[in-house]
Amino acid sequence: MASALSESRISVDHIPVKLIIAGPFGVGKTTMVSALSEIKPLNTEEVLTQAGTLVDDLTGVNEKTTTTTAIDFGRLTLPGVVLYLFGAPGQTRFQVLWEELARGALGVLVLADTRRIDDSFAVLDLVENAGIRYAVAVNHFPDSPDYPDEALRQALDLDPRTPLLVCDARDPASARASLIALVEHIKELMVS
Amino acid sequence: MTSGRQRRRVVPDFMAAAKLAVPEQINVERTTLVYVAPEVVSDALDPPGVHLVNLLKEGPLSVYECAAHLGLPYCVVRLLVAGLAASGTLLTRDPPRAEGPDLEILELVLSGLRAL
Ligand SMILES: Nc1nc2c(ncn2[C@@H]2O[C@H](COP(=O)(O)OP(=O)(O)O)[C@@H](O)[C@H]2O)c(=O)[nH]1
Ligand SMILES: [Mg+2]
Repeated sequence: MASALSESRISVDHIPVKLIIAGPFGVGKTTMVSALSEIKPLNTEEVLTQAGTLVDDLTGVNEKTTTTTAIDFGRLTLPGVVLYLFGAPGQTRFQVLWEELARGALGVLVLADTRRIDDSFAVLDLVENAGIRYAVAVNHFPDSPDYPDEALRQALDLDPRTPLLVCDARDPASARASLIALVEHIKELMVS
Repeated sequence: MTSGRQRRRVVPDFMAAAKLAVPEQINVERTTLVYVAPEVVSDALDPPGVHLVNLLKEGPLSVYECAAHLGLPYCVVRLLVAGLAASGTLLTRDPPRAEGPDLEILELVLSGLRAL
């Protein structure tokens, strides 16, 4: 904790920008947030009721009927802006959490694993329900099968304009290139 | 581990007992930036308030970062910050606009990422 505390702080005049990195368990979210973040990635707990709503007062926070989920959190300061990176879980029971995370966010990088394509369906549902712009990045593992882009797009039911990338979540340059592709896509949607 | 897990004590007892002064209208979000108001004396605060003020002595942090460093859930730290902001101990700077960034901000993000 001592080292984390002495890490550089944010300047108040940097514009905050929220970005979400999403995907099923084990797809590489924590890895990618670490690769991009200037601070040691943090974990913050969200408290939900069993029904999936967010707890927003202290009443009942300690009760058995609540459940917690840890969200990865990282930060990347650029000239004039500070990017807040949220690594968010992709199960549909986190719908309400997703709606909150999505508010004011720039966009979502959805990570997919071609060994378990089906696991990404729930995340895509959440992202689309939250009405947030996104790109899909396939995090490549040594034993990942290589499918043609068209087959992947069809399996994931992607809009032809949605970027479909391949990345290595461990590699900061690759992670940054994925973010750039996402932001360029959002810019195109905004200006068109 | 991203899947939900059961835990009995999300909030430590001292915290649950602290009887937070929480304002009616809360404008605190995950990425709200928090910093200490000039000339704040933390002696009169409850323990969680003292921890938070000490954490922020080195400079601003987002609410989410405060929660991670304090080891408390976001929902708790949000209320703590809201109360201390209402009493003038902490100052806050707004999170991103609800409708998301505009083109100008997008360009800043793009040029910043490309220059890395
Ligand atoms: N080979 C390879 N392994 C990776 C890559 N990204 C993540 N991993 C590993 O996959 C495992 C799961 O990654 P993690 O980031 O914890 O997934 P999360 O559950 O989405 O947060 C970890 O052991 C990582 O080291 C990658 O691009 N290539
Ligand atoms: Mg993880």
